[in-house]
Amino acid sequence: MSTETLIPEEPEAPTNRPPSMRRVKLWLQRPYARKILILNVVIGFLLLPLAWLLLAGMNQTGAPASEIMKDIEQTVFVFTIVSIPITAFVFAVLVYSLLGWRHVTGDEPPMQDSPAIRTNRIGVILWTVSSTLLAMFLVVWGLVELAQITANSFGSIAANEQPGQKSAEIINVTGQQWVWTFEYPEHNGLTSDVLYLPLDRPVYFNVTSKDVIHNFWAVELGVKVDANPGAITQTGVTANKLGTFNVRCAELCGMHHAYMQTQIQVLEQDAFDSWVRESGGKKTS
Amino acid sequence: MSVDAAVETKTVFGSEVPQPPQHGAAGGVMRRLNFGTGLVGGIGLATIAGWVTAIITPSSASSDTFAPMEPTYVYLAVLLGWFIGFMLGMGAFVGPLRWVVGRDITHSDAEYMAGKDLGRKRYWKYTTDHKVVGIQYLIVAMLVLGFAGLLAMLIRTELGMTWTSLFTPSFYNSMIGTHGIAMIIGMIVIISGPLGNFIVPMMIGARDMAFPRLNALSLWLFVSAVPMLVSSMFMGGIQDGWSVYYPLAAQAPPGMLGYQLTIIVFAISTAVASVNLMTTILTMRAKGMTWSRTPIFVYGIFAASVMGLYAFPFFQYAQILGLSDRVFNTSFFDPLNGGSVWLYENLFWLLGHPEVYVILIPSMAVALELMPVFLRKPLFSFNFAVAGIVGVVALSGLVWAHHMYMTGWAPAANYPFMLSTELISIPVGFLVLVAIGTFWRGTAWTRLPLMAVYAVVFNKMIGGVTGVYLSDVPADQYFHGSMFVVAHFHYMLMGAGLFGAMAGIAFFFPKMTGRFLDERIGSIGLWTAFVGFQITFMSMFVAGLQGQPRRVLDFDDQFNLSNWISTIGAYVIGIGMLIFLSAIITSWRSGVLASSNPWGSKSLEWQTATPVPLENFPVLPVVTDRPYDYGVPDPYEVEFDSTDEDLTEKVGTK
Amino acid sequence: MARRSRLGMWFFIVADVAGTIALVISYTYLWSLNVNGGWAPPGATLTASQTNTALPTTPPTASFAVEWPFWAILLVVVAATALMWFGYRSARSGNHAGLLIGAGLSFLVTVAALVFQWIQISTFPFDAGDGAYASAVLLLCASNIFHLLLLLFLGMGIFMRARKGLIDKANWYQAQLTGYYMTWVCVAFLLGAILTTFLVVSPNTDPAIFGTFKQQ
Repeated sequence: MSTETLIPEEPEAPTNRPPSMRRVKLWLQRPYARKILILNVVIGFLLLPLAWLLLAGMNQTGAPASEIMKDIEQTVFVFTIVSIPITAFVFAVLVYSLLGWRHVTGDEPPMQDSPAIRTNRIGVILWTVSSTLLAMFLVVWGLVELAQITANSFGSIAANEQPGQKSAEIINVTGQQWVWTFEYPEHNGLTSDVLYLPLDRPVYFNVTSKDVIHNFWAVELGVKVDANPGAITQTGVTANKLGTFNVRCAELCGMHHAYMQTQIQVLEQDAFDSWVRESGGKKTS
Repeated sequence: MSVDAAVETKTVFGSEVPQPPQHGAAGGVMRRLNFGTGLVGGIGLATIAGWVTAIITPSSASSDTFAPMEPTYVYLAVLLGWFIGFMLGMGAFVGPLRWVVGRDITHSDAEYMAGKDLGRKRYWKYTTDHKVVGIQYLIVAMLVLGFAGLLAMLIRTELGMTWTSLFTPSFYNSMIGTHGIAMIIGMIVIISGPLGNFIVPMMIGARDMAFPRLNALSLWLFVSAVPMLVSSMFMGGIQDGWSVYYPLAAQAPPGMLGYQLTIIVFAISTAVASVNLMTTILTMRAKGMTWSRTPIFVYGIFAASVMGLYAFPFFQYAQILGLSDRVFNTSFFDPLNGGSVWLYENLFWLLGHPEVYVILIPSMAVALELMPVFLRKPLFSFNFAVAGIVGVVALSGLVWAHHMYMTGWAPAANYPFMLSTELISIPVGFLVLVAIGTFWRGTAWTRLPLMAVYAVVFNKMIGGVTGVYLSDVPADQYFHGSMFVVAHFHYMLMGAGLFGAMAGIAFFFPKMTGRFLDERIGSIGLWTAFVGFQITFMSMFVAGLQGQPRRVLDFDDQFNLSNWISTIGAYVIGIGMLIFLSAIITSWRSGVLASSNPWGSKSLEWQTATPVPLENFPVLPVVTDRPYDYGVPDPYEVEFDSTDEDLTEKVGTK
Repeated sequence: MARRSRLGMWFFIVADVAGTIALVISYTYLWSLNVNGGWAPPGATLTASQTNTALPTTPPTASFAVEWPFWAILLVVVAATALMWFGYRSARSGNHAGLLIGAGLSFLVTVAALVFQWIQISTFPFDAGDGAYASAVLLLCASNIFHLLLLLFLGMGIFMRARKGLIDKANWYQAQLTGYYMTWVCVAFLLGAILTTFLVVSPNTDPAIFGTFKQQ
């Protein structure tokens, strides 16, 4: 028995399914498809300036004054840019639904129903994949950045275990209704109600409260942590810009919560040292 | 072994149907109880309780911090007296008491309680008919939202008048707190209450809810909670934001008791309503209504009930613990004495996050429900809509501590919570996908309900993207506690939530009231509010970016401009909402009469007559079709089946 | 109807579980934090004994609660539950006398549990202001009382309805649902007993001193 009889003579009949690229081109030939994509791009470009506008809003008072704040701004910028495509697409569909596809007004339901599209595998897959990719990107970006910022600000490391940053300044921040008090334990317990910071040196904050929950927010430096009564929270920053900045309380703490703010003065190391000396503190290192 | 002798029968469609034996006597005090007796009972018992407490409390009674305790005890007694007296007067205890002694409610009693033949009076009584309860919920929820909206206007006025102060800081703080909690309560109820009660049983082809008496109970518990909240403003107010963090709340005047009891009672009301809705949806769907034939709105209400059921007790117990701290001097949240502020925050946000989905999911569900009707095509990818809702419910309990990124309670926990919070954007995105897919190539019948959905989706996108910023821990390090957060959640809860409620009310108005909601006035109101909304909250984003903290009545000059703009926008919202409200009122009284299915919907609730008879359907329906069975075959399907070069002749230019 | 009521009871139990978990979380979290050293009642020794007679000159001390009453009351509640189960099983098999005995005894035993719980609360060696442990235990016991009061209401209802013949071989589901709820209440009591026996002394032995940056 020869093998030829088991193998069909003719090649298999071609299917009717056109190759993928052809299908994409065919889909694009539909007038609404092209127009929505164009609308998507146009709206996207209209939304693009938002990324810079958001930053402009944040920078009005001198930000960024630290690496952390720069990271935060970069995050906001990038997140805006990557969110624009999907957002613009949604807006494009909304617009085209009113202006492009048919619409009727009137008291009676439309006579003619629309195409019964119950699902569209490609559309659903595209959306799911792109929204998942976007979410994954945002998560990974955020996790990496959080790890970096935590490393920069000793967020979860105890005060006496800082990794080799001998020159870090420790400041104890106490919030109470409705003032901030800053204590410099390394300078003989010098206290101040304005936050003086040395330029380009890591500063490590221990924060607590004497009564209710406050929130220590060094606005332009991008530092924020709750001041809890009965607990000590920690954060840190390296200020890399000279100037005057703001500390605000960002957790409702009673009647004069709105007034619980004070200043930050970032000084050169020498100016900082002279301030310490003049205020009765002692340089320890 | 039954007790009563003869078996009664009733003639139904010409045949004799045996009725269950009755074990009590019909009539009685129950029939004379209504809202009036409830008020009498409540105010009476409140007065007595307060008076007695004032007498027996020694005037030197003080707490450990030397605060006089007498006002606290008296106010507590007044609130409890009001609650018990009001529920007694309404007749809420009749059912349980009769159950205990074995004298059950008779059939004629049940009909009476359902409001049969009572006319308008049934809205003022402990009525069990789900349609009556739905209308009652609508009225009360609108009152609560109106009260909160008035407070919002006052808040924005204060913030806009940057050159002066209209209110003291304490009063301002109590305004924002009361505005917050009243809005939250109103928004939780505004869709699940009216539409969940009125529409869902009809939508699944049932005659009523699973537990009609519990239905009335949940409503009247809600009603009893409202005066408690309002009264708190007269007892010093809630000066701690709607979240009432401790230990600031421990410093608050006795008005805080009003908040605590409001929440405790409201949580019971919500739990009861959730149990009712879930059991109804699970057990009383019409024959043939498999899960794939159940409308998406039912899924949404079910999801909201699930989240409300497991999450609300945490909030309730947080308030019970706080109440205990205040009245009995325990120290759950008092750090001097072993308490922890983080305990309160965790308990609070364990509810606080699912709660925003309790508000948002019904709103998206109602939008998705009405879209097929107005676009005359099926809901796009029903399975993904369900997946989105289920995904949100599953993840909603795992993300709460993203509200606590900055508290320092567990810095290492920030990583997993950031992950879960980002993940939840995927199922929410599915819901947007379904909306977009339903719009796709649809012929839009641009009536008011559908136009509102455009507003909902637009606002949802902005709210969602700004939520992404907040979910990122480093970015939150800038934004937490600033006006940026306030703008974000207003976009979600009001932009998507409230506008969705307006869409739902406009959609179901003809079924609930028998008349059309006036399109012209309603649309003017809606779009005015929409424009005002964008102005107010876009400007508020700017204020947050600039660094304005939240809950402040006075701020640096650099924030003035954004606040002025926000206030102007707020007034525009107010005008728009008032116009919309006037549309509701005038249409209800004298609007154009509607037929029983004016939108041409294929859904079960529209197959009832209008006004809906007591038993909804004369014969319980049997479902044989998928929902949203609209639409004609897709003309473009053809092109993928052939290899023709030029198809435009065949399928036309659309 | 029975199916609906069963579902309703399950959902109600879910809400009750969530609330009890809130109390468990409160107890455990405060135990682990020992904020400002305020977990233990002032004067409590390191071993969870009842009174500390070894310190003669200190004022009356508050201390941790004795453990065995929690377990004893739990046993009483279990007994009441078992009786109710017995009653409902009897009803199912047509034994009406068994139903009455079971339901009636269950009710009485519940009353006993309530009395015992009340006695336990009033004889605690601390009061509400004595720190976080005291607060948490008192609220756990208050929750117990609340559960027992509900059980009283349900038990009385079952008994009276059984007497009237409303619960019988054909219609026993309400007794069954009461049995389910009582079983959950046993679990709630068990959780309380476990917490107060095994999580007594806080592991955090050097909490921060309130308002300062030092530790104890």
